[in-house]
Amino acid sequence: MDTVAQLIVNGLLLGGVLALSALGFNIIFGVMRVVNLAHGDLVVIAALTCAVAYAHWHINPLLLLPFTALGGFVIGACIQRFLLRRLPAEVSSGEASSLVLTFGLSYFLAGAGLWIFGGQIRSVPYLTGAIQLGPISVPQARLLAFVAAIVIAGLLGVFLRYTSIGRAIRATSMNLDGALACGVDADLVRTVSFGLGSAVAAAAGTLLSYVYTFNPQDGIPFTISAFAVIAIGGLGSYTGALLGALVLGFAQAFAAYYAGSTLADAAPYVLFVLVMLVLPQGILGRRAT
Amino acid sequence: MPLLEVRNVSFAFGGVKALDDVSLSVNEGEIVSIIGPNGAGKTTLFNVISGLLRPPHGDVLLDGQTLKGRAPHRIARMGIGRTNQIVRPFGRLSVVDNVAVGALIHERTLRGARVAAREIVEFVGLGALADRNAGTLTLTQRKRLEVARALALKPRLLLLDEVMAGLTPSEMDTMAEFILALPKRGIAAIAGIEHVMRLVMRISHRIVVLDYGQKIAEGTPAEIRSDPRVIEAYLGAPLEVL
Amino acid sequence: MKGAGWIVAAIALVALTLLPLHMNGYWLNLLYQTVLFVGLAYGFNIISGYAGYFSFGQIAFFGIGAYTTGALALGTHWDWTICALIGGVLCGVLALPIGAIMLRLRGPFFAIGMLGLAQTARVLASSSSALGGGSGMYLPPGSSLLPVYYWTLVVAGGAFAVTWWIDHSAFGLRLQAIREDEAIAATLGVATTRAKVTAFIISAIIPGLLGGGYAWFLTYIEPSSAFSARVDLQSIVMAILGGIGTLWGPLVGAVLMTQVSEALWANFPQAYLMIFGGLLVVLLIVLPRGIVPAVTARWQKRNTPSAGGGMAMGGVKPEPELP
Repeated sequence: MDTVAQLIVNGLLLGGVLALSALGFNIIFGVMRVVNLAHGDLVVIAALTCAVAYAHWHINPLLLLPFTALGGFVIGACIQRFLLRRLPAEVSSGEASSLVLTFGLSYFLAGAGLWIFGGQIRSVPYLTGAIQLGPISVPQARLLAFVAAIVIAGLLGVFLRYTSIGRAIRATSMNLDGALACGVDADLVRTVSFGLGSAVAAAAGTLLSYVYTFNPQDGIPFTISAFAVIAIGGLGSYTGALLGALVLGFAQAFAAYYAGSTLADAAPYVLFVLVMLVLPQGILGRRAT
Repeated sequence: MPLLEVRNVSFAFGGVKALDDVSLSVNEGEIVSIIGPNGAGKTTLFNVISGLLRPPHGDVLLDGQTLKGRAPHRIARMGIGRTNQIVRPFGRLSVVDNVAVGALIHERTLRGARVAAREIVEFVGLGALADRNAGTLTLTQRKRLEVARALALKPRLLLLDEVMAGLTPSEMDTMAEFILALPKRGIAAIAGIEHVMRLVMRISHRIVVLDYGQKIAEGTPAEIRSDPRVIEAYLGAPLEVL
Repeated sequence: MKGAGWIVAAIALVALTLLPLHMNGYWLNLLYQTVLFVGLAYGFNIISGYAGYFSFGQIAFFGIGAYTTGALALGTHWDWTICALIGGVLCGVLALPIGAIMLRLRGPFFAIGMLGLAQTARVLASSSSALGGGSGMYLPPGSSLLPVYYWTLVVAGGAFAVTWWIDHSAFGLRLQAIREDEAIAATLGVATTRAKVTAFIISAIIPGLLGGGYAWFLTYIEPSSAFSARVDLQSIVMAILGGIGTLWGPLVGAVLMTQVSEALWANFPQAYLMIFGGLLVVLLIVLPRGIVPAVTARWQKRNTPSAGGGMAMGGVKPEPELP
């Protein structure tokens, strides 16, 4: 029973940061129906930047958060403004083009990471202890990441709900034509959305920098898990993303314990396929009966 | 036995009832028009008949055979062809190839299908554009392509979804003549969703009226024109009646 | 193809068969790589270009082919070509259930699903001690590159032949209808699931067979080279560069890009991934349809000024002029 409780705690902590990563992914997908395959690589680059900064100057990754987030925003906005916008707008090839473009970007970023940071694995040895709550051990690093993720997700939610650009973003993701009819500047919304989604990805990477070890080619699993979270929780649903993250977090925690960590890496993928087959619209997604 | 029988079909999107216990039939030799205000469920009805949507309640029968649970491609092979309200040509394929896809259910080779397709392309008046990419066609031309594609299936029942929308009045008359000539090509019956009332009155044998997913009236053009429930459903909307 | 085209093709084929007998190691190696990528590009092209289901994970089958060949060769004393053949067949068999499941997912879901499949395959190979785990398997050395080259040439040629058949067949038209608009294709009588899965199986057997050869090329199989992200990316870029969904695109793309790729890898190994990724991005913006359609379009504009763009299948005229 203690083991199960421990695993639940592990899953919860993991789920929190996964949720943040997935929210970033979801903003881009919701607004532009673009699957950003470079998402995970942004997470990794942010993490590596923090690792290097810590190694050289002993800077606390949390202090770097505003900078990595800003960097992520700029990169994302540029990707949308200068690259994605230039793709042909034809219906059937348009979707495929953006997919392949972000796929290319993913390798570009992974390669850039490899070139800049080299191939070795890095991490940030920060807050390595754990708090004991009875029989359950709560690693401090994960706890802090979890709390920070919740805070950021909360701020994001406030931004989307109460600022005019945030509302424009939500409107566009619900109904593009309606939003345009209300005078929303679609171009600006897309640029801000991609920037925002990337900023959140970078934030997630920053928080994970002292939880995991990273190497430049680790991007893909993060992309897959973000996608899996959204798919499981339900496309287009903010709370669905949080729910999906919890489900995935638990699944990974339990899989890691019972099947070993390498097989646990396959958990997001397996879960994704299973859910897609049974509940194609996800748990909280919009249905058609 | 009617060619097509729709029995007590219901369909809901989330909480919205698009179709509520709708029953109707189409007999051989008939042209039946389905009319009603926007959002009445007409295209949903066609989607159910052609197999794109599975209704939780009700059944659809073609020549007495149930279509329940059958995949769209099976239903197409059984003899139902349709056009779409929003035209969806295969943009990167030529006009001939667009039509040849449907012809493949009767022809075994690609060459045979293309020969059959060319004849149909000529018939609908797109002969000069036969080898152009369908994506380069104008709206009017695409509408004809929609019909051509469905004709390639040699269907018993042809479903036309707002085939007049976007056409000029003289183009509409041409299309009306065209529809009237279709039975000579072996089409047993036609069901059409339409908003252009003067043409509906002119070419239909019978008219079915839907409103909020329910059938509210059915009858000959003369009967429908004077039916108070129909007039009430349309109140406020512009009527083009001669 | 017109008469002249067939003659050129025949000459090329003879050259490709006889020249290698006189080539030294470096050139034979380059030729092998070129032919390998021609094959991989064609394999990718069928499911992604003709059927429109972009798969970022065909490398999974490449790796399965490599591992099957290696395991069989080490476990039995069968000739490696038999092992590679079995590897290819195994990929085809696996592709049936995998395809039946994965192809229910549309667009980006399918792409990510396949990406995940490749990842999972790599993870499984790394954690399987029977397959050598992270350190991999060593195959007995001693076979020259020549038999591997011929094997790959035959498979690549077969891949081209299958693509040619698809391009001229009812099956190919059905696939393209699925690519353009799957729901409408179904209402026009196309048995979409059957067609998609068939295309997927073909697209699995080709890399499976090629992977078998690759195992012998390396004589050492381990997860990151058998399920190599680099190989996957390259074959995708080549198919897209050449013209996805066309008959000649993969050939043009693979031949051109292999030379570029070798030059890059030799001179900038650290920046390789970065350059390739960046290249793909630039390509999509500048030449979204690839080389072959762009060239064919310009050719037609010049020849038939009034008709303007009358293309048949996949953007290529029914009688393509061999470049």
